[in-house]
Amino acid sequence: MSAVPQTVALPRAFTIAPRWQRTLIRVATGVILLVLWEVLIRWLAPAFVARPVTIARALPHVLAGHTPPGSPPFWGSVESTVAACFEGLAIGTVAGVLVGLTMGRLRLADRLLRFYINAFFAMPILAMVPLMQLWVAPSKARLAIVSLGAFLPICLNVYDGARSLPAHYVEVAKTYHARWWNVWFGIALPASLPYVLAGFRLAVGRVLVGATVAEYVLSLKGLGYLIVYDSRSFHQDVMMVAVLVLALLGVSINVAADVATHRLLPWHRRSE
Amino acid sequence: MSAITPAAREPKPKMSVPHGVQGSLVSIGSLIVGAGLWELIGRHTQQSSFAPFSKTMGALWGMTKSGELPRAAESSLELFAVGLAIAIVLGFFLGLLLARIRVLRTGLEPYILMLYATPMFALIPYILSLFGFEFRAKVIVVAMFGIWPILINTMEGARSVNQDLLEVARSYRSSEPKLWRHVIIPYTLPYTMTGVRQGIARSLIGVIASEFLLAATGLGSLILLYGNRFDAAHVLAAVLFITLLATLLMAIGRAIENYFARWKAGV
Repeated sequence: MSAVPQTVALPRAFTIAPRWQRTLIRVATGVILLVLWEVLIRWLAPAFVARPVTIARALPHVLAGHTPPGSPPFWGSVESTVAACFEGLAIGTVAGVLVGLTMGRLRLADRLLRFYINAFFAMPILAMVPLMQLWVAPSKARLAIVSLGAFLPICLNVYDGARSLPAHYVEVAKTYHARWWNVWFGIALPASLPYVLAGFRLAVGRVLVGATVAEYVLSLKGLGYLIVYDSRSFHQDVMMVAVLVLALLGVSINVAADVATHRLLPWHRRSE
Repeated sequence: MSAITPAAREPKPKMSVPHGVQGSLVSIGSLIVGAGLWELIGRHTQQSSFAPFSKTMGALWGMTKSGELPRAAESSLELFAVGLAIAIVLGFFLGLLLARIRVLRTGLEPYILMLYATPMFALIPYILSLFGFEFRAKVIVVAMFGIWPILINTMEGARSVNQDLLEVARSYRSSEPKLWRHVIIPYTLPYTMTGVRQGIARSLIGVIASEFLLAATGLGSLILLYGNRFDAAHVLAAVLFITLLATLLMAIGRAIENYFARWKAGV
């Protein structure tokens, strides 16, 4: 084992395998970015502003559950936010697929709803948070914001998918006496799945922003509230750990969606 | 339901009303029904939590006449325009740079995607501590919300430049600046504009978020102010105005996107 690589390694010494090269470049860039961040903040900003070193120092304490006095509990906040996000994503996905399919297949539904869906999609939903506060309990308001945030992009994407369905698919199905539900759920839905996943990716971003903003405006237990609280009590290092958790959450849901695309829809390739 | 589907599609040839007119009639009808429902619900709920359509319109008119709404809209639009402009310029040039320089792209791509997935809202307190809570900080927030789709789309676009085009340009001894001006940038712009359209929506979120969390100005402060007073009619009026504004801005974004993509239509 030890003798073989030595002889083989010689010609390879000049060219590292591209995969390792890539990893090396990425790690090096990461280190450079962190050093830049550290140096710039230390040089230019007041002492309480978080830098990589202070964040790294706070990380084990926060992960062990030790937050500064008065600050909301860390893991409780994570749990609350994550649960709300997944609940909202589930509601938004199911509702978005159903409404999107209906709008894509029935011209009447399309004309009735198109304007409303587009208007809600365009507007920043967080403008609705103070209003929702007047209607329902804070945790319900957050769930409503999060679900709406997930619903709109998925609905519009499924709508596009159901409309771009090749007409001859439906014609062939009709020749074989397919009923409307066969066309909707047997043809239009599978054909729109790539669109569902594209909408899902957009939804993840909106859900995370919606949940955190709602938590801040409504003073509701969760990462959004924790971030604002700790930044106002000058515990920025703790705040940044929460930001890291949110970033990790966003990235991992997106990666999961990518993996799902490759696994479940092997026929789908990015056309761009 | 099964009876509706075929019925809705079959009588198409018999229709005498032109297709587009009929469609817009249904859409207008749905808006009228929506306003009616709004009025009806508003009349049967508490005035502090929801207001009928007519009252909301009254509040909208009142705020417009007093100059409150135009002032707020101007302040928010200024923030939006400056932030988005910075996002477009930076996003476009960084995207081109990353597309052409491979080391930079390989190195930075994971971090850019990570920032794209992070809810920018969470970073507002950090920006507050670095840049304060005045206009400058808010512009940075808006630009940070808007830049990522522009950057990523530009990068993807510039990377996918047709190799044939580049080879032809080179074989005619095109210089590097000319190559950029006549091939790479025109090819990339439609992609960038797709990003700009997404960036418009995100920047608007950034405007409202920064007005909520940093110095309260503009449309965001209107919502907060009347929300705290439990004045639902004025809050609804402000939300309605933001919705109309957002729809208009998105329509402009889509028009720009289509304009730049016109030569791509056949592909």
